[in-house]
Amino acid sequence: MTTMYDLAAKEYRPPKDLPELKTYLQAAVEIEHLTIPVYMSGLYSIVPGTNAYACEVIRSVLLEEMLHMTLAGNLLNAVGGTPDMGKLTPGYPARLPFGDASLPPIALQHFSPGALETFLLIERPHSFVPSNPDETGWTSIGQFYEAIRRGIVTLEEAARGTGQTIFTGDPAEQVGPEDFYNSGGETFRITDLKSALLAIEVISEQGEGAQDSIWDSDDKIFGEQRQVAHYFRFNEIVTGRSYGPHDLPRTQPSGPLVDVTWQDAYPIDPGAKSAHFAPYPEIHRAVEDFNDTYARLLVLFERVFDGKPREMEKAVPLMLELRDLAQRIYRNPHPDTAGKPGLHASPTFELDDSRLRRAREHITDLLAAPAEIPAQSATGPAGAQKEEQHS
Amino acid sequence: MSVHTTGAAVDGRHYDAIVVGSGWAGSLVARHLGRKNWRVLVLEAGNGGTDNWVDYQDSVRTFSSAVAKVPNSAYRPNRAAPSPDVLDLSPGGPGNPDGYRATGHFLQTGPLPYGTDYLRALGGAGMHWLGAVPRMFPEDFSTRTAYHYGLDWPLGAADLEQHLRDAEHLLGTAGESREQHRLGTVPADHEYPMEQIPPSYQDKVFHKKLDTRTVVDKVAGNREYRLQVYGLPQARNSTPNAAYPTADGSTYKPRGAVGVPNFGERCVGNASCVPVCPVQAKSSPLRLQQDFTGTVEIATRCVVSRVLPGRGNTVRGVEFREYGDPATPASRAYRAEADVVVLAAHAIENAVLLLASHMANSSGNVGKHLMDHPTLLAWAETPPEMPVGPYRGPGHTSGLECFRTAEGRRQRAPFRVEIGNWGWGWATGAPMSSVSGMLGLGGDSDGEVNPDGRYGPALRSALGSHLNRQVQLQIAVEQHADPANRVTIDPSRHRDAMGNPRPIIHYDLAKHVRDGMYAARLAALEIFKLLGATDRSSYGAQADGSYPLGHYRHSPDGVLEELDLVYHGAGHGAGTHVMGAERATSVVDTYQRTHDHPNLFAVGCGSMPSVGTSNPTLTMAALALRSAERIHRDLAELHQPVTVAGPRAARTQEVAQ
Repeated sequence: MTTMYDLAAKEYRPPKDLPELKTYLQAAVEIEHLTIPVYMSGLYSIVPGTNAYACEVIRSVLLEEMLHMTLAGNLLNAVGGTPDMGKLTPGYPARLPFGDASLPPIALQHFSPGALETFLLIERPHSFVPSNPDETGWTSIGQFYEAIRRGIVTLEEAARGTGQTIFTGDPAEQVGPEDFYNSGGETFRITDLKSALLAIEVISEQGEGAQDSIWDSDDKIFGEQRQVAHYFRFNEIVTGRSYGPHDLPRTQPSGPLVDVTWQDAYPIDPGAKSAHFAPYPEIHRAVEDFNDTYARLLVLFERVFDGKPREMEKAVPLMLELRDLAQRIYRNPHPDTAGKPGLHASPTFELDDSRLRRAREHITDLLAAPAEIPAQSATGPAGAQKEEQHS
Repeated sequence: MSVHTTGAAVDGRHYDAIVVGSGWAGSLVARHLGRKNWRVLVLEAGNGGTDNWVDYQDSVRTFSSAVAKVPNSAYRPNRAAPSPDVLDLSPGGPGNPDGYRATGHFLQTGPLPYGTDYLRALGGAGMHWLGAVPRMFPEDFSTRTAYHYGLDWPLGAADLEQHLRDAEHLLGTAGESREQHRLGTVPADHEYPMEQIPPSYQDKVFHKKLDTRTVVDKVAGNREYRLQVYGLPQARNSTPNAAYPTADGSTYKPRGAVGVPNFGERCVGNASCVPVCPVQAKSSPLRLQQDFTGTVEIATRCVVSRVLPGRGNTVRGVEFREYGDPATPASRAYRAEADVVVLAAHAIENAVLLLASHMANSSGNVGKHLMDHPTLLAWAETPPEMPVGPYRGPGHTSGLECFRTAEGRRQRAPFRVEIGNWGWGWATGAPMSSVSGMLGLGGDSDGEVNPDGRYGPALRSALGSHLNRQVQLQIAVEQHADPANRVTIDPSRHRDAMGNPRPIIHYDLAKHVRDGMYAARLAALEIFKLLGATDRSSYGAQADGSYPLGHYRHSPDGVLEELDLVYHGAGHGAGTHVMGAERATSVVDTYQRTHDHPNLFAVGCGSMPSVGTSNPTLTMAALALRSAERIHRDLAELHQPVTVAGPRAARTQEVAQ
C-alpha cells in the first residue's frame, strides 16, 4: 500500500510531529509521481508533428511535475528523510489520494477530451472543489500542500523554541539547479524554513495559480516569463481557446483560438497491461523494455535523493529513451485486432518488486561504471548531405 | 523584448544609430547602444519570424523535409534578398578536373570556386552556424611579423581580452578553461559560463589512441607534432559553471528559447546544430534581440541599397528598399538618417554596400582580402571491433590543435583538425548515401537491378555495423589575406532581382594555403593509421569521370608526390574591409570605423586581417563590443554641450543683457 492512500484514508489535518511530516512528504513524492505517467501517455500518444500547441502545454506541465517531485524529494531530504521509490503507484488505473470516493480512477489515456478532463481533475484549484459540509477529508493537491505548509511552520517553530531545527538534512545531498532544467521554475536547495516554504509555494502556484488568478508565480519567484497555471493551461486545450491577459479563473478563455485536432492521436486501451501483449512477442518486448527503462529512471531518482544529487544528469538520456520507446510502441496497432479494434499498443508503466530489483542492479552498474558508451548499433538522425558546415 | 517596425514607418526619421544587419555583430552593437539609451534602428534585409516559436518550428520542419540538409535548408528562399547557397555550385563535369559551375547570388570568376554561403534573415548566419567559439592564438594576430605571410592586426589578443570575455558571456559559452589555458588561448584566471559540452564517445577513442603519439609533417621540414585531443568551446547550453563569476554572485543561468516561455533545453544531442537546433540549446542572435531596450527598433525585409553621403566626409544615413513578399522583388525605396551608421551585413554584403555607395575606399582595399577556412575532409572506417558511435551530439566536440601554431607556419598554412561527430555526412551525404548504396539504388551499369542490393534485416545489420564505424576529420586550413581574392561589383551588368549589385567573387588558394592542405592530407593519413582505421577518402576522378567540386592537384615542392586534393567552404567569409593602422593600406581602424568617414563603421569578420585557425564568430563578437563602446562614446561627445562662442562673444552677451 502506498503512503498517499494511507494518508488519504485519514482525516485532513497537518502533520503533528516530525515522523508524520516525513510520511506526508513521502506521500507528496508519490502524488507528484502519480501524474507523470498520466501526462506522458497524453503527450506521447499524440501523432508526432501534430497538435503542436497541446504538445507544448502537456510537455511544460509534465516537466513541472518532475520539478515538483524533485522539490518534494528535497523537502524530505531537508528534514532528514529519504524518498522510497518502492512505494510509488504500481500500476494504472490508479486512485487519486482524495477522500471523495466518487472520483473516478486515473487511467493512462491517449490525448483526447476524456484525458484532458482527467488532467483538469488532477490539477483543479483548491477553490474549485465544491464545498460539502459533510466532506472533511482530502480534496485537492493544493489543500494537501497547505497541510504540509502548516505542519512545517508549526514544527519548526516548536523546534526553534528548544534551540533546534527540523532542517537537519545534509545540504550536500540536495538537488540543486545544475542538472534540472527546461521548464518553468528551477530546483533549489532546501535548507531552512524560508526555502521550504518557497518550494511549497512553487508547487502550489504552478499547479493551480497564484492568489486566485489564472497565473503561476514563475515571474516573481524565478524572474521568468509567467504562464497560466497547469489547470488553466489544460483548459485552453479543452476549450480550444487560449486565455487573454485579463481572464479570471471562473471565466472561460477569451483569447485567440488554439488549433487542436483530437483525431491526431493513437487511441489506446486505458486498461492495457503488459501481459495482454504476451502473445505478440515483438510488442511485448517493447512494452517490457519501456517498463524496465521507467523503473530505472525511478531507481536513479532513489539514488539521487540518497546522497548522489549530481547523478540527476543521467536521468536525461533515460527520459529521452522513454520518449523514443513510447512513440515506437504507440505507432503499432493493438495486436489483438478482434478484441481491441481500432486501438493501438501502449506503454503500461507497470512496476513490481522484481522489475525494481533488476532496475537497481542496472543502475548500480551504471553509476559504478566510468561514463563509457557501450558499443551498439547506430541510430542515426536523418542527417544527410552537408556540403558545408558552419561554425 | 524587441520592437518591430516597418520601413514605411521609419521613412525620413532620424536615429542616433542605424545598424545594417541583425546577425551577431549587428545585434551586439544594437543591444549595447540601446542599453545606453540611444535610439537605434536595425535594418534587416531578410525575413523575420524565427523570434516566435511557431515560425521557429516552421524552420525545423523545413529542415526536416529538405532533401539536401545544407546550412540554408531550414530557411525559405527569398527572391528579394537572396542568400548564396552551397547548392549554387556543382562540379565541372567529366574531363574538367578543376572546373565548376555556379548559379545563384554570387557571380564567380574563379579560378577556384568560393564554396561559402551566408544567410540573409533575422539573426543572419548566426541562425545556421555550428556554435563553435574557440579563441584565436595570440600569435595569429601577427603572422606577418612572426612567420612572413598574411597581414598583421593593429591590435593583439590582450587588447581584446575583456571584450572576448564579454562575448563569451553574451553568446553563452560552454568550455573547459583549464584545458584552453594549457593550450594557450585563455589566461589562467579564465572561466567559461558553462561546463564543457561532454565529449563524444568517439572523442574518447581518439584520446586513447592518439594522445602523446607523434606525427611528422613532411611539408614543414619534417617537424614532429605531438598529438593531444582538446575539447571545443561552444556557444551551446550545458550545466552552469558554479565557479563562473557573475555580477551579483549568483550562478550563471543558461538562456532559454526565444518566443516560448520557459523552454530552451541544454544540448541533448539532436545532431542538427547546422542548420537548426530544435530545442534552441545552440545560441543565436535572437537571444540578444530579446535584450533590446525599447529604444531599439528592428525592421525586417528592408534591404539597404546605399549609404547616403553627408556634409564633409560624414555620412547622413541610408537608403533602403522594403519588400512585402519574399517571393517577389517588388519593393519601395525609403531613407532613414542617423548620427552613426554601422554596416554589419556580413563581410561580402558590407563590401558590396561600400562599393555601391562609393565610400570608404580611398585605399582601394574595399572588397580585397576575401578569406575563408578552406576545409579538407578526410574520412575513414574503423575496424569492426572499434565502433565510434557517430551521428549524435554536436557537429564536433573535440579536435587536434598542434598543427595550428609555431614554426611550421613558415612553410605551410596552419590547420585545425576537427573530429567530426556526424560520420561521413559532410563528405559523402551519409547516412542517406550509405542506405542507398547498400540498397543498390540506381542498379548496375547496364540498368539492371543490382544483385548485391540488401534489404530487411540484412540491410539494417549492415548499416548498423558500417555507420557506426564512420570517422570524418574536418581540417580547416588558415587562408591568409591575399589582395587577389576579392569581391567586386558591376552594377551596370550584374544586379539581383531588386536591382542591387550582385557580389562578383574572384577566388583562389595561394601556394601557402595549398601546402597547408597538402600537409593536412598527410596528417589525416597518419592519424587514421594510429587509429587503426582504413582511409576511404576520395578526391580524384569519380565513377562518371567528373572530379569533386573544389578539386585541385598539388605538390608543395615538386618533389613530394602530387596529390588530388579537395576543399570545401567553411562558411567563414572574412576580409573585404580589413582593419589597419595605415589608412593607405586598410579600410577601418581598430574600432572598425572607416578611415574615410568618421561616423561610418563597418563591423564583422570583414574587418579581420587574419583569421588564424579559429572559427571567427567569437573574435568578431569581441570586435563588435569594442566598436559599440566606441560608438557610445562618440554619440555621447556629440551630445555634450559645446561652447561655440569665444570669450569675446561671451562678454558681448553680458553687455547685451
